[in-house]
This record gives sequence, C-alpha cells and structure tokens, in this order.
Amino acid sequence: MYARIIRNDIRRSRLASLATVLFVMVSALLVSLAGALGAELSAALETLMERAATPHLLQMHSGPIDLERLESFAAGSSELEGFQVLEFLNVEGAAFEFGDRTLAGSVQDNGLSIQGRDFDFLLDLDGNVANPREGELYVPVFYFKDGTARAGDRVRILGREFRVAGFVRDSQMNSALSSSKRFLVSPEDYATLRDRGSVEHLIEFRLRDPGALGNLEAAYVAAGLESNGPRVGFPLFRMMNALSDGLLIVVLLFVGLLVTFVSLLCVRFALLAKIEQDYREIGAMKAVGLRVSDIRRAYLAKYAVLAVPGALFGWALSFAFRGPLLANLRLFMGEGGASRLAPALGLAGALLVGLLVLGYVRGVLGRFRKISAAEALRFGAPRQAARRPGRLRLAAGLPLGANAALGFLDVLARIPLYGTMLAVLVASSFIAVVPRNLHTTVASPSFSSYLGIGACDLRADVQAVGDIPGRASEIASALAADPEVRKTVVLTARAFTVRGKDGSESSLKVELGDHAVFPVAYAEGRAPGAPDEIALSVLSAEDLGTRVGDRLAAAVDGEWRDLRVAGLYSDVTNGGKTAKAAFSGGEAPVLWAVVQAGLADPSRSREKAAAYAAAFPYAKVSSLQEYVAQTFGPTIRAVGSASRISLGVALVLAALITALFVRMLVARDRVSIAALRALGFRNSDLTRQYLARSALVAGIGVLAGSLLANTLGESLVGALISLFGAASFEFAADPLSAYILIPLAVALAALAATAAGAAGAGRIGIAQTIRE
Amino acid sequence: MNTILSGEHIVKSFGDGAERRNVLDGVSVEIRKGEFVSIMGPSGSGKSTLLYALSGMDRVDGGRILFEGRDLSGLRDDDLADLRRRRMGFVFQQPTLLGNLDLLDNIILPAVRDERRGLGRHVEKARDLMRRTGIEGLERRSVSQVSGGQLQRAGICRALLRDPAVLFGDEPTGALNSASAREILDILSEVNAAGTAVLLVTHDAAVAARAGRVLFLRDGRIDRELELGPPDGQGLEERTGRVSRTMRELGI
Repeated sequence: MYARIIRNDIRRSRLASLATVLFVMVSALLVSLAGALGAELSAALETLMERAATPHLLQMHSGPIDLERLESFAAGSSELEGFQVLEFLNVEGAAFEFGDRTLAGSVQDNGLSIQGRDFDFLLDLDGNVANPREGELYVPVFYFKDGTARAGDRVRILGREFRVAGFVRDSQMNSALSSSKRFLVSPEDYATLRDRGSVEHLIEFRLRDPGALGNLEAAYVAAGLESNGPRVGFPLFRMMNALSDGLLIVVLLFVGLLVTFVSLLCVRFALLAKIEQDYREIGAMKAVGLRVSDIRRAYLAKYAVLAVPGALFGWALSFAFRGPLLANLRLFMGEGGASRLAPALGLAGALLVGLLVLGYVRGVLGRFRKISAAEALRFGAPRQAARRPGRLRLAAGLPLGANAALGFLDVLARIPLYGTMLAVLVASSFIAVVPRNLHTTVASPSFSSYLGIGACDLRADVQAVGDIPGRASEIASALAADPEVRKTVVLTARAFTVRGKDGSESSLKVELGDHAVFPVAYAEGRAPGAPDEIALSVLSAEDLGTRVGDRLAAAVDGEWRDLRVAGLYSDVTNGGKTAKAAFSGGEAPVLWAVVQAGLADPSRSREKAAAYAAAFPYAKVSSLQEYVAQTFGPTIRAVGSASRISLGVALVLAALITALFVRMLVARDRVSIAALRALGFRNSDLTRQYLARSALVAGIGVLAGSLLANTLGESLVGALISLFGAASFEFAADPLSAYILIPLAVALAALAATAAGAAGAGRIGIAQTIRE
Repeated sequence: MNTILSGEHIVKSFGDGAERRNVLDGVSVEIRKGEFVSIMGPSGSGKSTLLYALSGMDRVDGGRILFEGRDLSGLRDDDLADLRRRRMGFVFQQPTLLGNLDLLDNIILPAVRDERRGLGRHVEKARDLMRRTGIEGLERRSVSQVSGGQLQRAGICRALLRDPAVLFGDEPTGALNSASAREILDILSEVNAAGTAVLLVTHDAAVAARAGRVLFLRDGRIDRELELGPPDGQGLEERTGRVSRTMRELGI
C-alpha cells in the first residue's frame, strides 16, 4: 500500500524530494570521502612507516662524532631493537643541476645519502627498498611532484653525472614540512663525493616497544651523547607525513557535517509543510483508529525511499572523487592496502548520514501525537496568527518603495518561518568563509610565526660552516647597508645545559638575540626581553616541566644563571625543542645562526633572496614568502582545493534551499498573491517583493555567517591547528574575500534563486485561487 | 457614449479534449456608467466566470471586452494590472486581506505602488472611508483581531480607495450574518448612489434586489434580464419579491 502513496507523494513534490536526495547525497559524499581518505591515509602511513622501518628516534648531529661511545650506549640498552648511524652529505642547492635548472632557490637542505643498513629504508614507488647502482640516482618524490625531475633524466651533482633511476619515498623527510631531502646514491658514488660537502650524522634508534621512546630520549640526553642538531621522535614524523592530507580530511568532514545539518533543516522544512498540508488526512487516519506509529511509518517510509538511495549515491559518487583526492597521498605514501577497508568505512559514513536523517524525521513526526483528530477534521491545520510587526507600517511612508516595504514587513511578521532560511544562509556563508580563511591564513607569511618562524621577509641560515658568527655578521652588515632593507637582526643558536624542576640536567638549544624584531606568535606570555628571561618552545617546556613565570637554571660560561620563563611558543623547526633568549652567549659554541631582515617592499623578497644567495653561497638565503610557499606548498594547495570545494558546496546550498523555500512560500501565499494581483500589482512587483524578503534574510544571514566564521570559526580552526602543534591561532583573513566577496556571492546565489523561485507567483490564476 | 463596460459574445471554456465545455457560451452584456447590476444563476452557470472575465482577471477564449473603450484582450498582463489598480475595485466573498498588515495598511495597498511620496493623501482618504463604513478606530488592528463584517468593510474601503469606475463584487455578503450583510449592502448602495457602477454576483434575491437590473445566467448564456428601475432604496421588499418570482420561473 505504501509504495503507491509514496510514489504519488514524491511525484507531487518533485523539487523538495530531489533536494532531499541531493543534500543527503552531498553530505554522504563528503562524509564518506573523509572516512575513506582517513582510512587510506592511516593505512598508507602505517604501511610506509612499517616498510621503511622509520626510526623511533633520530638525533641529527654535525661535527665530530664518537661512534664507540654511541655503540656502547646502544649495546647497554635492552629496549633497543636496532641502532645505526647514517650519513647525510649536505650539498648546496646550486650544485644540483637538472638540465639548465638547479636547486639554488630551494629552501630545503638537499643532500646525498646511501640506503639504510638495518632500517630507515628509502622506498621506490613500488614500495621496495631502492638500491641504486653506480651512476644511478633516486630523487625524493617531492621533486617528482613539483616537476623538477623525471625518470631517465640526466642530473649533475657536484659535477658528477647521474641518471635518474627512480624516485624514493622517505618516511622521515617526505613532507615539504620536513626541511631536509635525501637523494639516494650508491655507496661507491657517495664515497667519491663525500669530501665535497659537509657531513651530518643521522643517529638512529629502533625500539622493541615504541612506547618506550620517552625513556630512550631521557637516557640519551642523560648520557650526554652527540646532540648538535635537531632530535626528532616517531610521533613528529607521523604528524609531518599526515598534516597535508589530514587537513584536507578535516575540512571535508567539517563541510560534510555542516551539509548534513542543512539536510536536516531542509527535511524539517519539507516535512512541516507536508504535515500542514495533510493535517485533515492525518486527523482522519487517527479518527478511523490508525495508530500514530502506523501513520508515522507511512511518512518515514517516504524518507527512507529518499535518504537511503541518496546516501548510496553519495557513497558511489565518492569513488569518482577519491582518485584525484588520493593522488597526492598515493604518490607520497603509496598504496596502503586499505582498498578494502576504505569503501567500507566510506559506506559506514554514508549510511550514518542516511540514518541520522531518518532519525531526525522520526523525531519531527512525533508531533503527530499532538494532533487532535476532531480539530484537524473540523478546522484543518491551525493557522499561525501572523505577528504584528512593531513600528513598521506602510502608512508611515515608503522610503524604499512599496515592494521593498511589503517584502520586509512579511519577514518581520513571520520571523520563525524565515528562521530556517536564515540558518541555511548563515551555515552557507560559514562553510564558504572558514575554509577560505584557513587557506589565506596558511598561505600568509605570518602563518609561519605560529610554527616558530619569525615573520620577516628574508632570512639567511648559516649552518655547518666554519666561523658561523663571523659569516653571519658579514651578511648582516651587507643587509644593513642595503637601502631596501628596513631592519635586520642576527640570532645565534648555542647549546646550554639547563636544570629542570626535578633537578635533572639536559642540553637546550637557545637562539640568542633580539626576539622582539621579528616575533613569533606566543601561545602564552611574550618574547624574552631582559637578560634573565627565556622563552621555551611548547615541547621544551613539556620536557622541562616548566610554565610561564617559572624559574629555570642554565649554565652559561660555567656558572649557573637563574632565568625566568617569559613565554611559550609553538615550533616545528629543529625537532620542536628550542628556546629563545636575549642574553649574550659567552663561550658556548655556535650551532647555527639566522640573519633576518625586513624589506621596505616585501614583494621584492624573492629577487633580494636570489641576489643575496648569489653573494653569500655558504648561506641558505630564502624569502619567507618562498620558504612558506615551498614548505607549506602542498598543505596550502590541499586546503586551497578544500576551500574551493566548500565555496561551491555553499553556493549550491544557498541557491537550492532558497529556491525551494521561495517555492514553498509562493504555494503557501497563493491567496495573498492572487489578492495582490487582483488589486493591480504586476508580476514584476511580486518578484521584487520576494527579492526584498530574500535580500533582508540573506543580508542578515551572510553578515552573521561571516562574523561567526571569523570568530567561532577561528576558535574551531584554532583548536584543530593546535592538534598539529601550533598554538594561539588567529585568522589572517583577506578582508575583501572574507567580508565582502564571498558573502556577496552567497547572497547573490540566494537572490538569483529567489528570482527563479518567485517566477511561479505570476502563474497563479487570480480567479481560481480566490474562489477556492 | 454612456457604456463603461461591455462584453460581446464572450466565450470561456474549461477542461481538455472531450471534457472541454463552454462555461460562457457567447454572452453579451453592457454596463452603463453609475449603473448597479446583479448577476444571478444556478451553481455552475458561469456567474463568477463572467465577473472575472469582465474585470480582466481571467482571459477569455472568444469575443471581446471593452472597458472605457479599450479592448482588454489586446492588453498585456502589466497593462491589465495597471487598469485594475487605477480604475477598478474588487470585493470578494472572503475579504483576502494580507495577514501581515494592519487594516489601514491593507486599505491603502492599491495606492502604495504608485505613490511613494504622496501617500498621505491616500491615508487620509482611507481614514475617511473607515469612518464612513463604521470601522473607525480599528486602523492598527490586525486581520485576526476583527470580525468578519469588519473585515469585509475594510475590503470595501480598499476597493473604493482610488475611486474606481466599476466596483466588482463576488458574493460580498456570502460569508456574513444577515445584520452584517444588510449593512454592507447599504454601503454598496451608497457607493453606487455616489456614481460608481457596481457589478455584483449573488445567489441571494434580497442582495440582487438592490440592483437596477438583474441578469439571469443559465448554461453560459443570459437567460433573462429583469429591469427593477433605479435603486433608490424604496420598495426593497417588493423588488425582492420580483427577483424571487423570476428565480422560481427559471427554476433557480
């Protein structure tokens, strides 16, 4: 019996039914994409890190190394499964020649390496351990992605010619966020070139139980072993590998959930109209003794017929989108063997959306219980008494014309009715603006300040050369003499022994200099100013168990100094464990130096960087813009495509719901429309009245939506970003797009849909309608 | 030329194919300036259809309709709307007032589109009409706060706001009790006495008797015309008797 009722019903309300299917489909598509991508990402990551046997702890070290001491440390630790020391031959970018291009402009530390002996394998694109023969080169997949190299290319490195035999996935340094890239060569070639660059050691450990990482790290530090360089643990490798695709998944999930919310609004909307329309019939069914649950089942069946196929379509459609969205992940991490799990998880997500909609319908149908059979039969649906708008009246004057006034009055008189449309437009603007703001924020130079990099225009890194302080001041003087440079600062990093709260001593790398010139974003507190102040990265503070305001003892020139912790900041550089202070360093050796500069015209930063790079070949000079573009490029692109998808979804949402809403209004208001037409209002007047209503609702909606996006959205995204280690987040929104262009586009979509939806008003026959 | 509204051989059909039938089957009528005409007939005889056709709210399938000398079939929808707004008034069985406006705003509705600045004149006129129809003081009331009779009076005020040449009424008293109905009819008679032509559809002999002339419709044609003489308010019972007799003769 249901089949026929449902078929007729769907046929009668085609547009509303189509919209329901469509929204369920889009939410199911997004949620199942997020689910499938999540499954793929976690499986691919797992597989990559397992096959590559990623070290659980990596200590980078430049300078002399005592291998025997390290070996005896490893032999003495029962938790270790493996230990090895690999070499990384730092080669300046200009020495990599790909045809007529070099890597001189690269912000990465590029270098040569040989395959790991026991673990930390570089894998070729088939997932096998790559073993180059003499004259062969395996290039990091990062440079395949950006088009620098192709298989079979001839490449010259330090004057020696190689043939690109393939590409490698590096479970440690794959991500653009990781600042080094390993090119894999044969041991013979490595031996030949070893004297031509500076050697850095990768001291690597594998644990039997990865949970013992904390103990191992503590033991390593306590043993006072080699530590002139960043120390990175397994979780950070994982995070860096997951970040770009992880953000994409989070945005998909976020938009998917908002669209689900809108689907629920849409369903509520259609359902309430339908109940009103069927009020007498429902009364009649109750009167002849049908149970509420029976009546409810009839309505629920209709939505099951719409929602379940909608969810399945969405899931099926997710296969089409999966390919392009997975391309990046597959390239960098390979197939994870999740192909079976991913569709299942996607299907689960899609069905969850379908079930959520049905559950909601069930809830709304609860109002059947409140319908009195007798009243429904006698009077039909209760008329909602129109609320009188307060002071607004036509007779008081028409500053914007009669049609605008009539439109506004209608909205004010039926605020609850327009509330649904308002909610949709608020949600649409939110969906459109938040990912866009996230995109502009991640793409802006200031984003790096959340990650521990001061917001300058130009930076020169001096590392692994002799007389670091002298060379840094050489660059600083050149910069200071340059009329285009506004201000410069030199930061030198030295290692000091510090004493934690529990009295344990450890080595801490402290960048010394004036940190107020190009400040990073402080999660708490502020930059160190006085000589007895220090700021710690969040990870260092965790290690030392200190908070802002605590005291910390540091050994400077052999005597203990009492320092006050002035601030905490997030850092992804140098393994995340750093500190900043303003005191002078005394005799401690300099690990590295950074010269930062601000330009009068920041748009010239790329040209200036190139000029200084040529003048000071021993330094790695980069424009921050360039640095951000290269380091966060893939992340920016992922968030960028997510933000474009969201904008599209938001516009379709705004237009479709508005069109539906206006059609429903026209159907509801047909008697008033007929009366207005009889009184001599033209069809164009009616359209204008509907446009005025939508303009008011859309105006408030997009305004509220963009305000919410820039406040609540900021906190939401901040919470998300903090998962990846950045604290105290603020949007660097592009005001033009965040407050004007995108809201305007959403509002225009709603207005265009209104004009289309209101066209039906002119087709309402006066005579038939009034005589009904 | 004394005719304000005329229909010549009007044909209007409904339905498709074999179901199609002429509701108006070549009707010709003529309404003179200041005249009061009633249209009667059994259900389905085409009374209301004729009224809506003559007012230009419904397009006809044949014949032509002249309003103040202009052929309505040659006008675009917008021109028809302008004509209705400026030269015609309508009173329906249900008052069709907008629920989101108060009574005063409902009454000035036909003027708001054309008068952005000079609305004050119309507001004054509306207050005057409300006083004359006995609904003074209800200006700010909403539609749900007044009685059916008061709503219908507001509907008449709205119809008269712009001094129409013809006032069309489709069973304007059909939904009212007899006391309210009588008062509404008195108002319509006053309006007519002041020079406005009135064309009324009704199935009530007492209502039809207010007119100077009654047209009886049957099967889409005018079956009979009854001249009652100038509607001077005198001898209403006798006039009602004549209408009722004619109805009986025609089996209505």
